[in-house]
Formats: sequence, structure tokens, C-alpha cells
Amino acid sequence: MSFSAVRALGLVTVQDLGRQGHMHQAVPPGGALVTDRLIAANRAVRNPDGAPALEILGQLAIRAEQPLYAATDTTAARLIPAGGELVVTSEPRRVAYLALRGGLAAPLVFGGRGALLCANLGGLVRAGQRLELAGLAEVAPPAPATAAPGAPARASAEAELPIRLIAGPDPGSFAPEALTLLRSSEYRILPSSNRVGTRLDGPALPRTGAPEISRPMVLGAIEVPRDGKPIALGPEHPTTGGYPIVAVVARDDLGRLFSIRPGGTVRFTS
Amino acid sequence: MADWIALGDRAIRFARPARSARTLVAAVRAWPGVVDVVVARHDVAAYFAAEPRVDPAWIAALATAPDDPDPGRDLALPAIYDGPDLADVARALGRTSEEVCRLHAAATYTVETMGFSPGFAYLAGLPAALELPRRTTPRTRVPAGSIAIAGLQTAVYPFDSPGGWHLIGSVAGVAMFGLDGPLLQLGDRVRFVP
Repeated sequence: MSFSAVRALGLVTVQDLGRQGHMHQAVPPGGALVTDRLIAANRAVRNPDGAPALEILGQLAIRAEQPLYAATDTTAARLIPAGGELVVTSEPRRVAYLALRGGLAAPLVFGGRGALLCANLGGLVRAGQRLELAGLAEVAPPAPATAAPGAPARASAEAELPIRLIAGPDPGSFAPEALTLLRSSEYRILPSSNRVGTRLDGPALPRTGAPEISRPMVLGAIEVPRDGKPIALGPEHPTTGGYPIVAVVARDDLGRLFSIRPGGTVRFTS
Repeated sequence: MADWIALGDRAIRFARPARSARTLVAAVRAWPGVVDVVVARHDVAAYFAAEPRVDPAWIAALATAPDDPDPGRDLALPAIYDGPDLADVARALGRTSEEVCRLHAAATYTVETMGFSPGFAYLAGLPAALELPRRTTPRTRVPAGSIAIAGLQTAVYPFDSPGGWHLIGSVAGVAMFGLDGPLLQLGDRVRFVP
């Protein structure tokens, strides 16, 4: 069972829940930028939570060759008839997920099925590309959802809450007021943000002259280059790096941070 | 020292005990709740599936953990010594390009840490005669397969990436990262064969 990508704008990739356990080989976990939303889309079509789905930072238009069931992370499952089209646009959010009943038949490579662009595993979905579905699609259709998963209204209300931080681990690399500045200022998500890092525009965080040492990194770490502009590390982050880390985003708040649209604002707390 | 510091709420970082990276990875991976480990030059990070629960005694025990019994592999990488920085490196060291190549190829290197880019292996054992600080201006793009030196280390860039090391050559016909993951593993011994 296959379908076609008719149009793919921005960053569209196949994603699952990532490849855990390879950071010691310098391979970051990758996986969905906002895992809860990938799971929501999969659940809407009764897929396993980690079934490969389409992560869309931009727009994707698909055309079904045979009837298939599709859902996004904010819309209930629906049947796309043969020849029918579906357009998914992430705006006004940063990212949207499109799940197809059965999951995408991406090959298992190095323990995962999603694209890991920094390791040339998989790649961008492009217009004209045919995508295969795995099993299950022939089975009975998913039960109709009683409500769209993750209703946008609730999601945007939650997005107002500040993002929680855990301070450290490099306090010696920052002037004492750096963390206070981070917690008391409004930052804006820059459009140059991607799966490696979410770049923030706002008050520069003052660093001391402490030398840069290559140290372990972590998903959600807020690293600060010499210009003082914070970067929150994303799923394809380098596993080691020399920029000091002023704080790390609480894991449970990471999805909210990475869901903020480019140009949107964020506040932090700890 | 058994102290550790939080690296967010799913990881911790502590000072690296003086053990091989393989030994540390194996020992820390055995801790309850640990899903991954990164060993850097001076630090180790342990990554957990949930809020870390760490007994400082586990960290203290690393100092005397048994060596990983696997002796590691020996690999030979075919090398072409024609890098864009080779002449500058030779000049900076007061040597000929041929001498630089000979010195580089004569050593056996050990994969001491991995980081920076998937499969990027920091190879320890560069002869002191070749020691140079990193380039003052890093390149925005180093081609995949480039052999580079900086400090007392050498490395092969697995992918196109920015890079600040001196490029002295490239590996021929070998993929440093394929469908099975990285070619090089912690503890491997590596030689370059011109």
C-alpha cells in the first residue's frame, strides 16, 4: 500500500520515537521533535505509539493510491479515498504530525525507522516521492474518535505557562546574573531553529572567560555560544560540545517549548 | 570523587575516572535506570529513562571497575595524504609534507572518545611532533572522509560538517558511518595506510 507526496515544503521527515542507547557512539536519539504529538497522531489511527509517521515543519500534501486512514495530532482519523488528497500545514504551530493507519514502512536502520539527518539516515520527504505503508492498513478501520486528540485550544492555553528549567551544570561559565536574566526575560523562537537546536532571540546571557571544553550534551540543554544567545538542543543534538550549559529544560516541558511557532515567544522558570 | 551534578532531570554528569571509555560505558550502562552513556575527555554523563536515582557509591566504584575484557579491534584505514592544510601544517612544524605524512601514518591510534557528530571518533596518540592548536578560523564545511589533526589527536570526519581541525588528507573508499552505524568503536586501535 502506498501513497505519494504531492508537495513538501519546509522540513518534512519520517519520524518515530528515536534510537535510544547510541550516544556513546556520538549518535543522538533523534525521533520526533514533539513526541507527545506524534503519539497523539498514532493513537488517532490506532497505531502503536511509536509507529513511523510524518513530521511536518512546513506543509505536506499527499495523494492516496488506495483508500487509507489518516489522522494528524489535532484531527480525528478520516478515510482518504483512492485518488483523494490531504494537505497538512504546521502553521500556526511549529510542527504537525500525520499518521497513517498501519504506520509508514520505513526500513529498520541502526535500530530505528525515523530519519536522522545528521547521520544521513533517511532524508527529507520530497514532492513526487512514494511512501509505503506497513501491514495493518487492510485490517478493520480505526474506531471513530469521540474527540479530536490534543484539541488546539487546550494546547495553546498550556503554552502560556513558563517552561521549567533545571539550573546548571556549568555555573562557573556564566556571570551570576545569567540565570536570573534567562528566567525573567521573554525570548523569541528564531526561524533558523531546526531539529538540532531551537535558537532563541532575546537578552544575551553573559559568560565568564572560562575555556570551552568538550562535554556531554543532553536533549533540552540550553547551551550558550559566545554571543550569549541561548540554543535549546533538539533531537539531533551533537552528543558532546564546547558551549557551556546554563540550564536544561525539564523533560516534561520540552514538547511545549518545541511546539512554539517560529516568531513565538517563551518564558522560563526554575 | 563520587560527586555528581544534574544535567537536567533525566541525566547526571560527573568527573571522569581514569579508566578506558569502553570500561566506563559498560559499567555505567549496568546501573539501574540508565539508558545511555557519554564519555568525554573529562566528564561522564549517564542518561536515565526517568528521574535519576544515583548512589554515589556507584560512581566511586568506577575507579576500580574491572577492565572491559574485550581487547578491541585493529583497523587499517586507507589514507590519501593530500589535505588542503598539509603544506601549512608542515610549514608550521618546520617539516616537509612527506615527514608529516610519515609521522602521522607511523602511529597507532586509539578511539578514546566519540562525540561532535555521529560516529566521530577522537583518536588519541598523535605524535607530539605534530601537535598544533586548532585553526583560528574553523571551516563552515569539512568534506566527509577528511583526515584531520589538532592537539594530540587525529580524527576522520564521518559527514560533511563545520570543523576547526587541520585537514591533512582523506580516507579512500571507506564509509565512516553506514547502515550499521559507525565504523569506529570505543577502544578500537586504528592505523592509517597511505
